[in-house]
Amino acid sequence: MTNQSPTQRPESFSETARKTKTYSLVELVKGPTTMVDRGPDETIFAFPIVAILELLLTLGVIAVLLLMSILVNAPLEEIANPTVTTDPAKAPWYFMGLQEMLEHGHPTLMAILMPGLMVLFILAIPYIDNSRKGAGVWFTSQRGKRITLYTTIYAVVIMPLYIYFDSTFPLREILRGQLPDFVLQAVLPALLMGIIVVLPLLVLMRINPTPREFIMTLFTLLFVSAVVFTLTGFLFRGPGFELYWPWNMPGDYSPWDNL
Amino acid sequence: MKKIKAFISRVWKSIFRHGWPDNPLDRALVMTSNLFLHLHPVKVNRKSLRATYSFGLGVISIIVFGVLSVTGILLMFYYTPTVERAYQYILILETQVPFGQLLRNLHRWSAHLMVIVVVLHMVRVFYTGAYKPPRQFNWVVGVFLLLLTLGASFTGYLLPWDQLAYWAITVGTSVAGYEPLMGETIRTTLLGGPEVGQEALTRFYALHIMVIPAIILLLTSIHIWRVRKDGGLAVQETDKEGETDD
Repeated sequence: MTNQSPTQRPESFSETARKTKTYSLVELVKGPTTMVDRGPDETIFAFPIVAILELLLTLGVIAVLLLMSILVNAPLEEIANPTVTTDPAKAPWYFMGLQEMLEHGHPTLMAILMPGLMVLFILAIPYIDNSRKGAGVWFTSQRGKRITLYTTIYAVVIMPLYIYFDSTFPLREILRGQLPDFVLQAVLPALLMGIIVVLPLLVLMRINPTPREFIMTLFTLLFVSAVVFTLTGFLFRGPGFELYWPWNMPGDYSPWDNL
Repeated sequence: MKKIKAFISRVWKSIFRHGWPDNPLDRALVMTSNLFLHLHPVKVNRKSLRATYSFGLGVISIIVFGVLSVTGILLMFYYTPTVERAYQYILILETQVPFGQLLRNLHRWSAHLMVIVVVLHMVRVFYTGAYKPPRQFNWVVGVFLLLLTLGASFTGYLLPWDQLAYWAITVGTSVAGYEPLMGETIRTTLLGGPEVGQEALTRFYALHIMVIPAIILLLTSIHIWRVRKDGGLAVQETDKEGETDD
């Protein structure tokens, strides 16, 4: 190698190719190639780090579950008796949001239409917001973070208020007889819910939101409301499905026994 | 001695088709030539391993599903879904079967944990925008997995056949009856009759131990496979603008 002079150097492959091969344009294809315009490769070998992390996670989860299972027994009440209704009769905790909603309007609206709409909305999310921007970043941007925070505060305040006032001063009962039942049970609650949802969207419209920000507001509203309704139904509803403080339930009823 | 060593080596190599993974080639082969590890890509982005990015929620759901499968199969050894005996079997399990109470506790708390973790996983995916193209359809698959998780938990809730189970399922299924057109049909199909009884217990048992887990397994396979095909977890592009808009 060292004693080869440049003139004696054998022709390189590319030089040969340039002389002998001809090229023609066959087709133009639109679309990015995998590495064009990407930064430096930030990947590492998955083995063994991913396998180790997953093993540790498995051990951790099993340890937590074992500890919980040693400390707390799964509830078991008397044998099922169709003639004796429990008071309150509650669905499993994850459906308590639904059961709570039933307290606030017509069952078809509250138990079928609203949950159906929510599932449809969640399914539609990636088709409404279909830009690639901000994927892989929590809340997308600082603005997204603020929007999520304010929406959360709004929902945490307004939803318990709605539940409380609708239970204590139920317009639907006060106006009974003055308006048709359908209006009271379906139109009025739907209208109230609609206003609660639209209000923050109107505020959002003033700052010219991206589809992502729009959908983030709606999702936050939905998620926080679901949590509030679930917690209310699960923790704050006692005998007669009345509102109580969880630590101040009448009789020997404890909401935790329903787990 | 040498022959035995060669024999062992032959058997070992018939199972594991790669050398000791201390070099790039074998580290790639260890992933691609092993069914379980092949769920992962050979190389992963550093950012996707950050604990505060994903919180490992997807992996945890699968781990908890595994715990539920194992404890669920063990529980099946001690359980019969009949109105006369289901409750008695739970009592026997809790008082006479070694570690029976622990087994039941594990299954119960894992079930609750799975609902929580799957919901949190969805929330994580939403706020990190990980549903964005090309992952739109995997989000849809995930939503169905969440609904199936609720279904699995709900059908299992009836099986102890105590007051808690009976009235929770009575209340829960009555909701279906509020659907104006098909509601009553859906409810009676689910329960196998007008009320929660033996037919409901039989159907819920079949759904709980067979139908729903089978569908969850299938959809989870599709879910993970698509994550892998889409290049692992969605992470921020490395160039500063992150603009790959099309």
